[in-house]
Amino acid sequence: MNPELIEKITRLIVEKLQAQNPPGGGGAANSVAPSASAVKFWDHTSSSEPKNISRPALNVSDAKVEEGQGRIEFGNYSESNSVRKKESAVKKEEQRTEAIYPASGVENPFDPEELKNLISKTPSRIGVGRAGSRPKTDTWLKFRFDHAAAVDAVYGDVNEELLKRLDLFKVSTKVRDKEVYIRRPDLGRKLSDEAKQMISEKCRKAPTVQIIVSDGLSSSAVEENVEDVYLSLQQSLKSLGLDSGTPFYIEKGRVAVMDDVGEALLPKVVVLLIGERPGLVSAESLSAYLCFEPRKGTIEADRMVISNIHKGGIPPVEAGAYLGTVIQKILKYEASGVSLVQKEG
Amino acid sequence: MFNNSLNSKAHRHFRIEVIIIKRYEPQKEDILSAGIDIGTSTTKLVISKFSLMNMAGGMHMPRIEIINKEVLYRSPIYRTPLRTTTTIDMEAVETIVREEYAKAGIEAKDIQTGAVIITGETATKQNAEETIHSLSDHAGEFLVATAGPDLEGIIAAKGSGAYEYSKKTGKVIANIDIGGGTANVAVYKAGKLCGTCTLHIGGRLIEFAGNQIKSVSPPIKKLLQQWGPSSAAKEGDSRHVTVIQKLTDFMAAVIARMLNRELLESDKPLLLGHEPDWQEDIEVIMFSGGISECIYKYETGAAGTAQYDDIGEMLAASLRESKELSLWKWVKPFETVRATVLGAGTQTTEISGATIHVESNELPLRNLPVYQIPFGQVLQDGLKRMPEAITQALEIYDPQREGQNFALYLTEMPYLGFRDIQELAAVILSSIQAKPNHQQPLVIVLESDHAKVLGQTLKVQNPSGSIICIDQIRVEHGDYIDIGHLLQTSVVPVVIKTLTFHH
Ligand code: B12
Repeated sequence: MNPELIEKITRLIVEKLQAQNPPGGGGAANSVAPSASAVKFWDHTSSSEPKNISRPALNVSDAKVEEGQGRIEFGNYSESNSVRKKESAVKKEEQRTEAIYPASGVENPFDPEELKNLISKTPSRIGVGRAGSRPKTDTWLKFRFDHAAAVDAVYGDVNEELLKRLDLFKVSTKVRDKEVYIRRPDLGRKLSDEAKQMISEKCRKAPTVQIIVSDGLSSSAVEENVEDVYLSLQQSLKSLGLDSGTPFYIEKGRVAVMDDVGEALLPKVVVLLIGERPGLVSAESLSAYLCFEPRKGTIEADRMVISNIHKGGIPPVEAGAYLGTVIQKILKYEASGVSLVQKEG
Repeated sequence: MFNNSLNSKAHRHFRIEVIIIKRYEPQKEDILSAGIDIGTSTTKLVISKFSLMNMAGGMHMPRIEIINKEVLYRSPIYRTPLRTTTTIDMEAVETIVREEYAKAGIEAKDIQTGAVIITGETATKQNAEETIHSLSDHAGEFLVATAGPDLEGIIAAKGSGAYEYSKKTGKVIANIDIGGGTANVAVYKAGKLCGTCTLHIGGRLIEFAGNQIKSVSPPIKKLLQQWGPSSAAKEGDSRHVTVIQKLTDFMAAVIARMLNRELLESDKPLLLGHEPDWQEDIEVIMFSGGISECIYKYETGAAGTAQYDDIGEMLAASLRESKELSLWKWVKPFETVRATVLGAGTQTTEISGATIHVESNELPLRNLPVYQIPFGQVLQDGLKRMPEAITQALEIYDPQREGQNFALYLTEMPYLGFRDIQELAAVILSSIQAKPNHQQPLVIVLESDHAKVLGQTLKVQNPSGSIICIDQIRVEHGDYIDIGHLLQTSVVPVVIKTLTFHH
């Protein structure tokens, strides 16, 4: 069956289920957000009640980094577009909040307060109740829905508009097809010949820091978060006085593709912003993999990663600011990963 | 944590070195905390060691937490040195502190956090403020809390074990800390503060000299007046007048009515400040403070527990025998007379988030009032309110424009993208132009995890300004905060002083 049809049917069923439940009647029916995207926010830093984490439209075009100043300049910012986006964002948020803080599905809980407390501590599907020995229908549908979103994230492509906005040119690995990408991780670790040539022509050689972006296993992760991480990281590098090379985008890349980039451009540190394998909590979580002088034959233990960067995890802007400090540390010890830990003593 | 601006290359180089030394290595560190409690009758001190550790593991974003607190040293309990009935003997207090530090084998400069707290009636002594300031200069460059009665109750409940008990059992517990001058009550349910109340009930409200009454405190005088001429008890009367037993029994009954939130008009002379402000029914009660010591005798044999010439023992007896109070389950405290000092020494410090932006030369900062600006999840609304809010903060905290600094506490932030952060920083910088002293550090506390990027952005937009931007600390509008030195784990200790309790 095609994915759109599945989604349509799921929505219909969920809407029907909700219509049966009187509004405000509590119960787990609320936990399903019919038209919500499958992204949920999980606020790991606070133990408080659900907060509305809404995302005002970010519409930056032609972000430009002004030399020497550390300021990141923005291009045109379209007002009307932003308003429209915001309205739909607010609506989405309401649904999202419900999706991640579902009312408990347990009927007559022994200790409702404590149950609420436990549910607030994890995005996992706990306290969802059951029907006999099975999950309730809406719990099950939501699970399927999240799973479908995860699949979508893997198979999607990153919006060209975004790449243009961030001024990232695009190259590919040795895979063209997503199916092949899934089955042949080794090919996703190699730049295509054209890619090698293109980056050699376009990129500044031997920069201190080379930033690259890749869809990896989640194009949604890149679409949703890379802009904020990237701009904040740029600012952080500027503030710290670290120069960075010409950034670009690698389609269908794997983490170790940075080794080919290292060979071609000879940077001191590579930062690769790449989509993580989607989970059922978030399909749009981004990772930043870092490595000191990645080259052919670099071992995995010499890489390091800051993971879980998304709106409900580490805030993308904060992650970007923090990455600068990590890079500084890598440069100081001239090592990353396990070697860095060893040198640090 | 980027200290200077980026103007020259040479500068840049220097800067990076400095940051690196400060910033990285430790995943773990110990800090020392001091607690000093100067109460109406007694003064005591504790030294504790906090172990901080990065709980997130080496390669994650760091998350520093206090994983252990160990009390290293407890002083004997001293009689609070007073010069006259209305002034604290500052030198004598300092001598006690110096000698106790020596006994504990530590120096003032080793202390990184903690609190001096002047409690009960002592807090109203003429030179209380002065004492605190002078102590904070000699006892260590640490953090200082002058407590209002609400905070006192809260700190005592944390030191006595009541807070822990509620957290463990989920029950509603009232901790009743009775010292020489006041009874400070804090109610907790499942680790959450429900409310507070303070009464003029304490051991030293009537003092004796030999067989005679030496002094009767003003609220008691007022109460006795209300009871009529047959209930007189004044200076010079025999200590055996029956009205004293009647008085302590009455105090026990008032405590019970207060716990039930049913204070009578005739009880009001004993009420200090607001009425009980919790909504919950109290399930269990715990007594701490000097009077609790009279009940439980944990410290018997220890130095400084001599008989005091006051109504303390009688009050303890009245509490023990009170029918009304026997209706609740009594839970024994971990600490009696030391509850407050332990609370002050071990429970007042919080640790900031680990990705923050501070400029070390500005720290520590003391007694910054907090002005909260809630964004209501909409960035533009918050930004629009910002200039107005800062003018208001100035009106409240620095009406004469003398340069009293304050901390901005930004809450209910929506999701913030990079552009939003830029806009936020710009609006903050333009709004604080209203402040009279532009050299002052700009202090921002964020509820959400954005301190590093906001601090960095403010610095980029205003390279010459001095910026302290910390996060993951929960404060309230009107609280006062102290921010300590930057620790090796890149966090700062923060002491939050809740002077009044709001729901
Ligand atoms: C899949 C996965 C694995 C798989 C990778 C299989 C493969 N060859 O593709 C296996 C099971 C081998 C694995 C192993 C480990 N993993 Co792992 N892994 C993940 C997971 C679930 C998804 C990663 C992903 O999406 N990558 C993106 C795609 C595009 O990358 P890829 O090129 O296909 O695959 C590479 C990366 O996945 C990378 N990788 C995977 N894990 C780790 C961990 C570290 C520290 C590094 C540097 C690289 C790395 O190695 C793969 C080969 O190059 C993440 C969870 C998350 N939220 O990210 C945890 C995660 C990245 N792993 C983690 C850990 C701790 C490890 C181990 C150190 C566990 C251990 N104690 O042995 C090892 C180290 C592996 C290494 N390369 O050095 C942590 C990292 C925490 C941190 N920030 O330091 C994460 C975040 C899980 C977590 N929440 O704790 N992992």
